Amino acid sequence: MPDLQAAVDDFVIKLKRRQVEGSLATAKSTVLLLRQVVSHQRIPSSGPASSLIDAVKSVGSRLIAANPMELAVGNMVRRVLHIIREEEATIVAAQVGVTPVSDSDDDADVHGVPGLSAVALAAANRTALRAPSLHNLLESLPTSAGANVEPVPESDTKSRCKSSDKNSKSWKLKHGVIDAIGLLLGEIENYHSEISEQALEHIHQKQVILTLGRSRSLLHFFREAKKKRSFQVFVAEGAPRYQGHKFAKELAAMELQTTVITDSAVFALISRVNMVIVGAHAVMANGGIVAPVGMHMVALAARRHAVPFVVLTGLHKLCPLYPHNPSVVLNELKSPSQVLDFGEMSDCLDGTDGSPVHVVNPMFDYVPPELISLFITDSGGHNPSYVYRLVAEIYSPEDH
Amino acid sequence: MEEEEQVIGDFNRWRQRPELAEAVAAIKALTAVIQRSQASTMMGLEIELKNASEMLKAWDRSSISLSAGCDLFMRYVTRTSALEYEDINAGKSRLIERGERFGDISLKARETIALLGQDFVQDGCCILVHGSSRVVLALLKLAANNGKNFTVIVTEGGPKKTGMEVSKKLSAAGIPVTVIVDSAVAYTMDRVDMVLVGADGVVESGGIINVIGTFQVALIAHSMKRPFYVAAESFKFARLYPLDQQDLSISTGQEESSNPARDYTPPHYLTLLFTDLGVLTPSAVSDELIQLYL
Repeated sequence: MPDLQAAVDDFVIKLKRRQVEGSLATAKSTVLLLRQVVSHQRIPSSGPASSLIDAVKSVGSRLIAANPMELAVGNMVRRVLHIIREEEATIVAAQVGVTPVSDSDDDADVHGVPGLSAVALAAANRTALRAPSLHNLLESLPTSAGANVEPVPESDTKSRCKSSDKNSKSWKLKHGVIDAIGLLLGEIENYHSEISEQALEHIHQKQVILTLGRSRSLLHFFREAKKKRSFQVFVAEGAPRYQGHKFAKELAAMELQTTVITDSAVFALISRVNMVIVGAHAVMANGGIVAPVGMHMVALAARRHAVPFVVLTGLHKLCPLYPHNPSVVLNELKSPSQVLDFGEMSDCLDGTDGSPVHVVNPMFDYVPPELISLFITDSGGHNPSYVYRLVAEIYSPEDH
Repeated sequence: MEEEEQVIGDFNRWRQRPELAEAVAAIKALTAVIQRSQASTMMGLEIELKNASEMLKAWDRSSISLSAGCDLFMRYVTRTSALEYEDINAGKSRLIERGERFGDISLKARETIALLGQDFVQDGCCILVHGSSRVVLALLKLAANNGKNFTVIVTEGGPKKTGMEVSKKLSAAGIPVTVIVDSAVAYTMDRVDMVLVGADGVVESGGIINVIGTFQVALIAHSMKRPFYVAAESFKFARLYPLDQQDLSISTGQEESSNPARDYTPPHYLTLLFTDLGVLTPSAVSDELIQLYL
């Protein structure tokens, strides 16, 4: 346990200091840490799932608070919670007659706790109104008529008669969850190759492709397409971090014909481009994306000239939240030294001669779903209006 | 028939409470039918419920939320009869329990929607409201109570001038309100940050049926890139698929093509729907509808 505590604290500090950067690295570290949490957690025989869920939630909320901008942390925490709930449901389905814990948890929460989050209420409504699933059928059995409101005593009495069953159930749950987390980890690590497999379908011979900044998935994507197609790439430099320069070097090393342009030249050249392909930092539940600054401009230019705007993303970047006020809430302001060198304008910056000059350096842009043509994910190509379905498949609404 | 009078009587009694939506009153009346029923088989009970539901729908043919609410109640409650029960009483109590749960969800729907939607109201924003919807009022009141500072612009809502009532209620809650004529919506749209309306019904395509003028406001909001939000309870989800405005009068059976009371707004112009089942994109509505009806 103390090792675990130290590992969690260590990761929290790394997140706060932004020492872990990039959604892939953050997602992997989060999942590894949560797997440790799950394996160290002692499981009581009654309510195994809820104890796991509580443990993951408490660690998860610390991690999310450490770096709220890095949405991948929250995504992975919610994925793990969804895995726990699903494993619980499969085990219950295999062992008919045991009161399903998570269902009664929701009901108990709804009746008992005032001021419950609106989304959890909505989730409870959804489960109540859905077609009778296995859970609902079980709760309709006459013996468990009162089970909804009092989960613990019911399962305690049952556990006395079936204690060995319960123990094996919690063991099964824990190991099922750890296996599933291992699968999740594999999925995250391999998303590059899943996406690049689709490259040949989208890039055709002699096409001109435009991109902004740098994206690792895009690098793999191009590498795969290069094997059978010849095409050229325009890379917008992506001021003020100039990641586009680095990307252009990598593409040139792959012997791709690359051209570097300034961000301001995008509109002038977009009419000569067949397709825009970019990576994203995060995908929101309404289908909009959070991308490096300047992306919204490229998307508008692409829409104006009817050029398809394609986004490559792994499912770990898919966030179940809605962007309430995209320009403010989902943005981080980086140091202005990236825009202006130290000392360049120091006389006007501190306001000694009249009013000071402010320098704002936002890191991200929000691109609304109407401007995006296609998402290429590790589960295939999807319309932005389909994103809600993907969210429903990999997350539980109780965890939002 | 006395049964008919009883059902309609129950319905009207519930409707006395001004805060209650019509569909919720209908649901309560139908639950009472189950309680009173003397049927000895599940089939008999189902037939009684179906008759009661038809009577309620006939009472006001033009109300979409009423007929949608009745349909959903019938689906939700009678789904249970697929399971076998040893005696009619166990089945009845199960149905009553489900009926009451459905009634509770619908009654609390407004609060759930207000909780979900008030996150979207930012400090210092300006909201345009069209039509008179109790859900929208609840949402705005909750946001104001949670200390958010925002202003509201209400359309007059001619020819019945419903906007004046709405503006009175909003200013009673301490929210700064401006009333504008319906033709001034395009003029004011650039000052507005978002548009919020209620709905009479939500259709299968994800579009909404609401008081006349909603489509116009949606068109203007869309062309000026303002988000258009709809707040609607889940019992308003109807099995309708209007392809144009004329389809609307056909399905609700009204002869008002020269002075219509409602119009249909296609899903393309809506940004998000706030419902008691969660925040939905218009494309997610048909998924939810299938889940509710199947």
